[in-house]
Amino acid sequence: MSHLTRLLVAVAAFLVLAWIPAGLDVGLKFDAALSLVWGFGILSLVLLTGYVGQVSLCQATFAGVGAYAAGMIVNTFHAGYVVGIVVGVVAAFALGLLVGLPALRLRGITLAIVTLGIALVFDKYVFQDHLFDWFTGGSAGWRVDGADLLGLRADSSSHLLAAYEVLLALFILTSLLMVNLHQSGAGRRFRAIRDSELAASTMGVSLTRYKLLAFGLSAAIAGLGGSFYPLVAGSVSPQPFWVFTSLQLAAIAVLMGVRYVPAAALGGFFLAFVPDILTRNGHGTFLGRYSYDISYDWFSLALGVLLIVQLILLPDGVWGDIHTRAAKMWSGLRHRTERQVSLA
Amino acid sequence: MTMLRVRDLYVRFGGVVALDRVSLDLNRGEILGLIGPNGAGKTTLFNCISGVVSPEAGQMFFEARSLRNAPAHERARRGIARTFQNLQQWNSMTVLENVSVPMDALGRRSTLGDALGNPMSMFAERVTMERARAILHVLDLGRYADTKAGDLPAGIQRRVEIARALAVRPKLLLLDEPAAGLDANETWRLAELLHTVRDRFHVSMLLVDHDMSLVLRVSDYVYVLDFGKLLARGRPADIRSDPKVIAAYLGESTHEASEPRAVIDETATGEQAPLLEVTKLAAGYGPLEVIRDVNLSVRPGEIVACIGANGAGKTTALRAISGIIRPRSGRVRFGGRDIAGRPPEHIAALGLAHIPEGRGLFPRMNVEDTLLLASDNTGDRVDPRVAYEAFPRLKQRRWQAVGTLSGGEQQMVAIARALLARPKLVMVDEMSQGLAPTIVRQLFEMLVILRRQGIAVLLVEQFVESALEIADRAYVFEHGTVGHEAPAADLLADRKLISGSYLGSAVDEAAAVPLGANGNGHRPDVELMETLALKMPAGVKRAIEERAEREGRPAGAVALELLEGAKK
Repeated sequence: MSHLTRLLVAVAAFLVLAWIPAGLDVGLKFDAALSLVWGFGILSLVLLTGYVGQVSLCQATFAGVGAYAAGMIVNTFHAGYVVGIVVGVVAAFALGLLVGLPALRLRGITLAIVTLGIALVFDKYVFQDHLFDWFTGGSAGWRVDGADLLGLRADSSSHLLAAYEVLLALFILTSLLMVNLHQSGAGRRFRAIRDSELAASTMGVSLTRYKLLAFGLSAAIAGLGGSFYPLVAGSVSPQPFWVFTSLQLAAIAVLMGVRYVPAAALGGFFLAFVPDILTRNGHGTFLGRYSYDISYDWFSLALGVLLIVQLILLPDGVWGDIHTRAAKMWSGLRHRTERQVSLA
Repeated sequence: MTMLRVRDLYVRFGGVVALDRVSLDLNRGEILGLIGPNGAGKTTLFNCISGVVSPEAGQMFFEARSLRNAPAHERARRGIARTFQNLQQWNSMTVLENVSVPMDALGRRSTLGDALGNPMSMFAERVTMERARAILHVLDLGRYADTKAGDLPAGIQRRVEIARALAVRPKLLLLDEPAAGLDANETWRLAELLHTVRDRFHVSMLLVDHDMSLVLRVSDYVYVLDFGKLLARGRPADIRSDPKVIAAYLGESTHEASEPRAVIDETATGEQAPLLEVTKLAAGYGPLEVIRDVNLSVRPGEIVACIGANGAGKTTALRAISGIIRPRSGRVRFGGRDIAGRPPEHIAALGLAHIPEGRGLFPRMNVEDTLLLASDNTGDRVDPRVAYEAFPRLKQRRWQAVGTLSGGEQQMVAIARALLARPKLVMVDEMSQGLAPTIVRQLFEMLVILRRQGIAVLLVEQFVESALEIADRAYVFEHGTVGHEAPAADLLADRKLISGSYLGSAVDEAAAVPLGANGNGHRPDVELMETLALKMPAGVKRAIEERAEREGRPAGAVALELLEGAKK
């Protein structure tokens, strides 16, 4: 696809997706906005794991840093929300560079453990410790009802839809940049590191520079999504950004296809909507006799089972395999018609 | 002018000294050959120069500037590029992308600009692609530009590695075993390619390869390493006749006649029921059917060789027999039992040991533990001392991690482990790949010892001649099936037509002597000869090819005529 086609597809996607949640109830509007926040989280893994081959189990931490930084700026300094987002992204980028430092020496399972440790430390000792009350707003968190984003007031009744539309535009823009990056020189250097670090370094690719850059950019993407969280939810609390969310993000990224940008949209949708719909419609009686009650725990269980099924049936992820199969079918179809034409 | 100056390089891995004060000088425009037995430190020297390993002591200067503290990518920018013995191309990327990465990396394009697709970036992209295509064109890789590098056969992957290294715009190119896994024809083309590359890209080269004839033909100057020390250096002609080199590299004598063939009691083995009997075997990978209609048998205590060109299906046949891949159809009987489609561990427990290509060892496990693994097949604990008697060298290394051993020693471990499982049949795949001839000969002698103990051997081998010297019978694979079956002695007699010494010395000498030596009245088959001429010494091949070209006839016909003439 050329740059122009990609741009047209992106605009079309925005026009279609922007109107879908308009008719939904408030709960589902919230889910729609949340799905993009987590969509950014998975997109950050597409860059880091899918392109560069680095493992990270602390992407929710980056999102959390973005969220708290935005909340703090808006509350403490009474700045506009745009400033909050910028500071959130920069803070996440800085933390990403720091986390990238051990990645210069470590890889694979060791790196996974180190990043998991970072997620744990932030979960228990930063987001929940009184020492960092200036950053987290204490146990009450930050409330941002009074904030406004380019004239959108966070407490107005239409704010969820507006936040969704801004998030969607940014998400599609970031996705577009990511697809461009994949096909460009920098993308090739990233992928070279994924396939063989040894060859990449001896062919002139600086591992230090590009690994740190990958960690920084990935954290910034996760932080961008996270910095919208206070706007969407009205407040920040540690719970959405705990260790388990990081693990879920990684699992869903693999489930949907960690090497593909569209998988991030699928994954965000999955993580925001499925548990909510399950808990909402998950009670009743079956055949008039057996009562059932599906709780949030069922979501984690289902995710685990789906992951196992996917690894066996769709090893390249849901999007990856469907995409490959569709392409194969399409080329087969074209081949057949061509042959028929030539026969006729 | 000296381009690369290496002084007193010293590298130690654990207790093993890999490089012991090695010095080397390389002049601009020169192709410098580096040879030596396995474990001599050639690859370590490469790793030092390219910045993958840092030496404990010693200095390196490139264009009069020190390389100390320069990371690997910095050295690439200064103009040092390399290829890898175990291929390191980027498998998930297309060939074109592989070649364009080094150019991008040197041009320092901005990541953000690339993502935004700004005009500067798009322009740089077009230039990169054009230059990448130009390099692919020179190396005759143009038609693979959009194929993923990992999907290509190994021979072409080696060329991709060379193309990628050239994309660095190197002043110095380090080639680590570029001919590994190539057949004689491809090796011959590689030699031409290296000269083309030097002349068209103006690069100097440092070349490591086990194919002595390649190194001696291509290089201007040769260094010989042995056990991390510089053994000799000089012009190829001097190296070829240097007794020290011949002793280190080839063992005492260059080539002996084939008399050590153990005389087997033909009647005894001939009438015994076959130990392994394969009928109409078919197998493959995914949509690809690699072998079909393969029939072969091995009797107890027999050595049987499978020979044939790369990709003829030999390795796939062994894998289908040992259960690593599932046969599609056909029958495999071993020791009177049907084993087709059974899991590999069951087949192994019946007494069929398979030593795969690449040996199937665990690099971090020590020698003794690796050998003790064999107990799983027999049910009781094995005694590693049996193996140490056969391979005294392994006893010295028993606590060393297998990954730190040299290639030859690793192959010894693989054979010793198979031996301890007390098999009835051992299948060995490409035992000699990447090994120096001395070691290869020792390993072949081991196989003869196995036979004396009543163990049958099924062998896949690129060194056709060495294999035929110890084998009783051989199957010639062609295009996924068995083309011929013949006693090894007959094939070897054919082979003698075109054989020379390992060093591929003087053309006429090699071409004349063995021709006269043949005379058993066996009528050679031209096609068969071409199949067998896998590792034909380049000198002989060149003589025949030159004459064929002069007279405008196929090379096979020339060889045939030479044979007829020799008979009269």
